[in-house]
Amino acid sequence: MKLGTNLSLYGDVRDRNESAWLLPSSPGFPHRLRDEMTRYDERDEVDIVIVGCGAGGGTLAQRLARAGWSVVALDAGPFWDPETDWVSDERGSHSLYWTDPRVISGADPVPLGSNNSGRGVGGSMVHYAGYTPRFHPSDFATFTGDGVGADWPISYTDLRPYYEQLEQELPVAGQDWPWGDPHSYPFHAQPISGNGDVFIAGCEKLGIPARVGPVAIANGRFGNRPRCIYRGFCLQGCKVNAKASPLITHIPDALAHGAEIRAHCHVSKVLVDDHTGRATGVTYFKDGIEHRQRARMVAVAGYSIETPRLLLLSASNRFKDGLCNDDGQVGRYVMVQGAPQTAGRFEAEVRMYKGPPPEVSCEQFYETDPAKPYKRGFSIQTVSPLPITYAEHVVAQGHWGESLREYMRDYVHWASLGALCELLPLHSNAVTLSDEVDRHGLPVANFHYSMGENDKQLMAAAQTKMEEILRAAGATETMTIRRFAHLVGGCRMARSPKDGVVNAEQRTFAVPNLYITDGSVLPTQGSANPALTIMSLAARVADHLTAHQHTGPAAAAEARHG
Amino acid sequence: MNPSVVFIADRNRGRTPGSSPPRFPGFDVLNEVDRWDAVTAGVVLARLTPSPELSFFTGVEQATAEALCDQLLAQHEEPRIPVAALIDVRLATGETDGWHYADMPEDAQAWRQTLAFLDNDAKRQGGTSLSQLGQQQQAALVQAVQELDAQSWHGLPATHVWSLWTRYACTAFYSHPWAWNEIGFPGPAYPRGYKNMGLDAREKFEVADAANTDPVPWTRRAEAAKRRQAAAVTGESS
Repeated sequence: MKLGTNLSLYGDVRDRNESAWLLPSSPGFPHRLRDEMTRYDERDEVDIVIVGCGAGGGTLAQRLARAGWSVVALDAGPFWDPETDWVSDERGSHSLYWTDPRVISGADPVPLGSNNSGRGVGGSMVHYAGYTPRFHPSDFATFTGDGVGADWPISYTDLRPYYEQLEQELPVAGQDWPWGDPHSYPFHAQPISGNGDVFIAGCEKLGIPARVGPVAIANGRFGNRPRCIYRGFCLQGCKVNAKASPLITHIPDALAHGAEIRAHCHVSKVLVDDHTGRATGVTYFKDGIEHRQRARMVAVAGYSIETPRLLLLSASNRFKDGLCNDDGQVGRYVMVQGAPQTAGRFEAEVRMYKGPPPEVSCEQFYETDPAKPYKRGFSIQTVSPLPITYAEHVVAQGHWGESLREYMRDYVHWASLGALCELLPLHSNAVTLSDEVDRHGLPVANFHYSMGENDKQLMAAAQTKMEEILRAAGATETMTIRRFAHLVGGCRMARSPKDGVVNAEQRTFAVPNLYITDGSVLPTQGSANPALTIMSLAARVADHLTAHQHTGPAAAAEARHG
Repeated sequence: MNPSVVFIADRNRGRTPGSSPPRFPGFDVLNEVDRWDAVTAGVVLARLTPSPELSFFTGVEQATAEALCDQLLAQHEEPRIPVAALIDVRLATGETDGWHYADMPEDAQAWRQTLAFLDNDAKRQGGTSLSQLGQQQQAALVQAVQELDAQSWHGLPATHVWSLWTRYACTAFYSHPWAWNEIGFPGPAYPRGYKNMGLDAREKFEVADAANTDPVPWTRRAEAAKRRQAAAVTGESS
């Protein structure tokens, strides 16, 4: 059943999440909804305060507001209006990224900022490409199945209903999916551009299956969201409102159900009462002044760098080494995917800047191949770097000066593929506090990262495969940049506090009313872009919380007011 | 359209940096400026008129930064994209990439230090500063930093210094409409978008590549020659 051809399914989504219908029919954000937003007093003890309005925080806020909870969600960055705040320009999109200072170290330091870190309502999904694959069932038990990584305390089937819900709400377009748990998508796949044509042609030559999608851009209108105009600036924030991010997929519905989204609020500490052991709210900086928001429950959704940093900054007499860190698990097992990108030169003009960078994927090499010396695998997707990013690819080959200019003049002839390699979780890959401080005087994060041997083999194998595909499609030259993408882990979910920070319901082991609802809870990362999984996990937490609402915070609030 | 926009656009008609014959003859991204949204147009056109009064670099640093950026981007003749001025704006406002290597100072400090180091190297070559050396000597000095790779250059890992310089320089250069004219990239695309997808498919406003030269064989030869030249220059002075 496809949305757009099936109105009853369309209506079902609208009954659950009206965001796409609350947006204006012209571009931008519904300002009236924002102006008339519920505003809580800091002295109010709200049902929940959520730290961060990205994939995890935005989804949780919408679900809980709909269930009648009083919700305040704080974000360090702005409350965006896509029409007036974002530009159709690579360099001008700098404000979308988390650019507060951070230190990177280790044998393979991972650049942050534009690569993987968002700031503002919508989070990193404002500037992600738009790929929204599901994880495979095998991802949830790599230790049992492959002898590497870690087993999750939940299985794929626990998450499947939420994958289905979110795929409808974003919504996701793509061909029928043959890999992992085979499934179909609510929207048919989009038409593709020259870059996608090259990938499909190369795969066909080699007998490798490839599929269009899964991309969180509706193929056609969706509610008041217009269709994609093939502008090619997905990574710079979608001015069109065609590509999904929580800013347009979940925040409008959250506002309509009474949530308060408080922007430009940098949370400095999660407050815990050392006597009761319970969280009581948060402190945050706004315009240089420290405020406090009281809450009956706290959910941290600041992603893999800022969430561990916040817990470490929230040390108290009871939690001397950082909140929830009695077992030294906070900030550990942070992962990035190995994301080499290979470009190939074609006689024809490819002009890869046209059309959305996310178009075609291949998950044929996702799982462990017993014939290979390494465990687990990689996926391959189209990517389409714009000129500044493409110049980085050229510089990575050692070119500068006239050589760099000459390569760049040839930009229109190159197609690009990117791999996502499942790099394994290591205890030593960690976020700690640096000696440096930010503008509020708070120590910044130091992210230490080094690859293991399996990781290096995967990166090399993925590069070889991309070169083969591009050559098969007719490329006469190839070049590869070794890089990383995405962030997950740092406060992983586990069966016991010895192995992680949160349990299967994403409640911290240490503090009974403190939850973590972002990518930092993932024990492994598969070779899939993490956004859909982070949202689905947050929706699952919300179901868990609201299932108990008659005895939970909302009911308590009702009793108090009633 | 706003008259000042017309004025800026007219003064920049069809320009590419330097004087090489263009690969995309007649291509001018600014022809489409009235089809860009106002916010984007404002941001992009501002790059065409950066203030010549720099505020982060000192005069000495500015001269060295300009010489370095001219080398990194082979801007050896007018018209030049004002790369150092565009970098100055970022450093003055503290607009970093949101991270720095643990073995490097934060970006603004790292720029000041490394520009001073370049001048030190130039003094060893018999000059007073990088900008006072001849083109070939400048190129040899820059090349020497790149070739150190992971080794230390004045106490900093050369590869991280190289990353700092090239990130800032390429971001400035390839954000400029003249550079887009040179590479056939039409720049902003909202609310216009694209309609003609596929290999060799073009919009009316896109111009076909007139040369279609594979850069790989040429750069291989040019870079080998550059290395020989650098070795000769360094050999002479030592």
